[in-house]
Amino acid sequence: MLTTVFSKSLLDRWRGAAITVVSLSVLLLFAMAAYRDLDISIYTDLPASLQSLIGIPEDADVASLAYSAIYNSYGAMALGGLAIAMGAGYIAGEERAGTLGVLLGNPKSRTGVLVSKTAALLLIIGLGGVVLWGAGALAPQLLDVNIAGLQVGAYTLHLVMNTLVYGFLALAIGAWTGKYGLAVAASAGVMVISFFAVGLLPLVDALAGFAKFFPWYYLSGSEPLLNGVDWAHIAILSVAIAALFAAALIGINRRDLRGRSTGRSLIDALRENPVSAQVADRLAGSARVSRIWVKTASEHQGLLFVVAAAMFLVMGVLMGPIYTSIDTVLLDLGESLPDSMLAFFGGGDLTTPEGYYQIETLGLVAPIAVMVVTILLGAKAVAGEEADRTMGLLLANPVSRSRVLAEKTVPMVLFGGAVGLATFAGIAAGNAISGLGMSYLNILATSVLLTLIGLLFGALALLVSAATGSVRTGAVVAAGLAVVAHVVNALAELSDAGWGALSPFHYYLGSDPMINGMNWTDAGILTAITLVLLALAFPAFNRRDLRQHG
Amino acid sequence: MKDIALHTEGLTKHYGDVKALIELDLDVHRGEVFGFLGPNGAGKTTTIRTVMDEIRPTAGHASILGMDCHKQSVEIRRHIGYLPSDLALYPNLTGKDTLTYFANLRGGVEWSYVDELAERLGAQLDKKVGDLSSGNRQKVGVIQAFMNRPQLLIMDEPSSGLDPLVQREFQTMMREVVGQGASVFLSSHTLSEVQRVADRVGIIRHGKLIANETVSGLRAKGLRKVELELDAHPQAAVLEAVPGVRDVLIEDRRVQLSYEGTMDALLKTVTDKYGLVDISTQEADLEEVFLTYYHDEAVTL
Repeated sequence: MLTTVFSKSLLDRWRGAAITVVSLSVLLLFAMAAYRDLDISIYTDLPASLQSLIGIPEDADVASLAYSAIYNSYGAMALGGLAIAMGAGYIAGEERAGTLGVLLGNPKSRTGVLVSKTAALLLIIGLGGVVLWGAGALAPQLLDVNIAGLQVGAYTLHLVMNTLVYGFLALAIGAWTGKYGLAVAASAGVMVISFFAVGLLPLVDALAGFAKFFPWYYLSGSEPLLNGVDWAHIAILSVAIAALFAAALIGINRRDLRGRSTGRSLIDALRENPVSAQVADRLAGSARVSRIWVKTASEHQGLLFVVAAAMFLVMGVLMGPIYTSIDTVLLDLGESLPDSMLAFFGGGDLTTPEGYYQIETLGLVAPIAVMVVTILLGAKAVAGEEADRTMGLLLANPVSRSRVLAEKTVPMVLFGGAVGLATFAGIAAGNAISGLGMSYLNILATSVLLTLIGLLFGALALLVSAATGSVRTGAVVAAGLAVVAHVVNALAELSDAGWGALSPFHYYLGSDPMINGMNWTDAGILTAITLVLLALAFPAFNRRDLRQHG
Repeated sequence: MKDIALHTEGLTKHYGDVKALIELDLDVHRGEVFGFLGPNGAGKTTTIRTVMDEIRPTAGHASILGMDCHKQSVEIRRHIGYLPSDLALYPNLTGKDTLTYFANLRGGVEWSYVDELAERLGAQLDKKVGDLSSGNRQKVGVIQAFMNRPQLLIMDEPSSGLDPLVQREFQTMMREVVGQGASVFLSSHTLSEVQRVADRVGIIRHGKLIANETVSGLRAKGLRKVELELDAHPQAAVLEAVPGVRDVLIEDRRVQLSYEGTMDALLKTVTDKYGLVDISTQEADLEEVFLTYYHDEAVTL
């Protein structure tokens, strides 16, 4: 099967694509089943502006609600992410791995390689669209839901074209610069910004027209589910894709290929400059490598900076003025919003600033932010060094495995605390700027609980990866269980069932700490579970053979 | 045990059904270079990873400097230097950062010695390790193995990527530390290297130690290469009939053969049948001895 660049490119990526598309199909089925059994009037009675923000079409029914949820938000994001990973990986990724040189050592032109890889990208995303189309047609049959008048095929076509734009953007940036990280970050940034822009801009009359400058507009702007294919919109997306491909073609042919390289950071430049060399050297050199935990922390400071800054500025400070500018709307809305929807965002009373922050920041986004950091650091703690094949050398020094594990746990705890602190500082600043009158002590208590729930799942990732030596297993198990725990908690809140106590999330916001302040019992339970998980990691790591290759 | 740097007894490692190491008994003495020879996949790295406590033996045990490789592994590591095979370092650190990191974990090293090592090997320590060629990266690995003046150096294929001049310097460094009383456990498939630096050699194949001898003892097995020039075209059968003769190659009046035994028997046969014009003999190098051993093992296994 490894006969051509095309087939190898397919083989490299089909598994991830298949998992993504099948998961989305299953989610679609679940969503449709869930909406079928709910009284959906709670959604359709929402004001039009809010419907537009969460992507609910006018005259929504059970089926279109489900399609919108999957095709317009989760599904489109997941498929977009997949396309970006492929687009960036196919050229820039091979350069980063140092394999592009070998590939081009064969009698195959750069253009030929690019065309083969582009064909693989088109085929995988295209096939993904076909599967989703099939799932979209099959689900209502299985669940006996009426979809008369809904054009699922048209919607999937728009979805595929929208997805390809981001994939080709990543391909073009990667081909032009050879920088994998840049290609992924820039394309994902464009995707997320355009998702929010198309959801939010129409709410302000003066800005509504600007939505047309974002690719996402051409996914749902013409409501293809109701109106069928809008060929003009498809043509616009096609032109964008063709232009990006042309850019990739020029980009890959005009420049020097990169060897396997490490990239140059600001601190590197400072170290090379004689004026700043001494100070920079102390920072980047001797201080950074003084201890195992300091070195580990320094490797992830970029991630911490981005996450903490986002939590502080966007989810913290900005939310204050936003609340005061829309609180009258929210007061009207407060009564009409369904609990079922709010539960998934952490529940809360939208009419109070505490409830507003709980839904906007603390319910979903903040746990995700802190867990991105803690789960990543936990999963990479020791398994990361094994994957990089540096563990053998590290352990050739007179340090025990337990000490390595303990030192590797420190940055996870510190960074989890830092994200909690940034969230506290952000909300506190928003509170002060907009005079919302929330209790600073309660904000602090909630931030502490936030850090604790993040550390619990970080410790789980650390335990699993320390026991298996696999970063991926640790991260997937912890993230997967976190999602399950969140859903269990949300469902339990809805039905007032006691089994919500089984979910760690129950001990995070279950006591309404923004209103009631610190719940020491909940904090103690979260801490105890975390400590048990951490304690188990030591014998698990001490007992087993180290992996030689990641 | 005082003069034993590394000792293994019945050391066995199974990965499921795969027997990577079978009852390995080995001693490395203080003040010697022990060459550990074997083809790829023979079990060299498994042996090293086991004594380093990276993996745990299925049976048997190992000790270094009289200490148990598992129970006292941290104490052991104060006194050894280690260079793993297929060396991986932290790509974002410079060579200097890397050495500083390991020095910190060891509680400090003599930096003047590090500088001396770097100069001898021509190592570039101010560049990021990820931007170095594999040979220059290997130099950083060699320095970190030597820098704490270890009593035992354990090195797995250490010469890979080093150019011949640096290899020679590296070999000199090994002989120097051994001269000062340290020991070296050197895994290699480069026979010429082992021949040059090792005092004793162990040969491993399919997880089993098939030979354990001094280098001079191996040579003394007497395998030599003989070239004869005769006055007539000889018959191969006549030569092959002499005990100890093998690999006979005849080219007109010239003969090449490998010979094990005293010269007497061979010369008698040759001079009886033909006139001897010229003769040259050469001590076989380890490579031939090695191949001969393998040949025999392959037959008996």
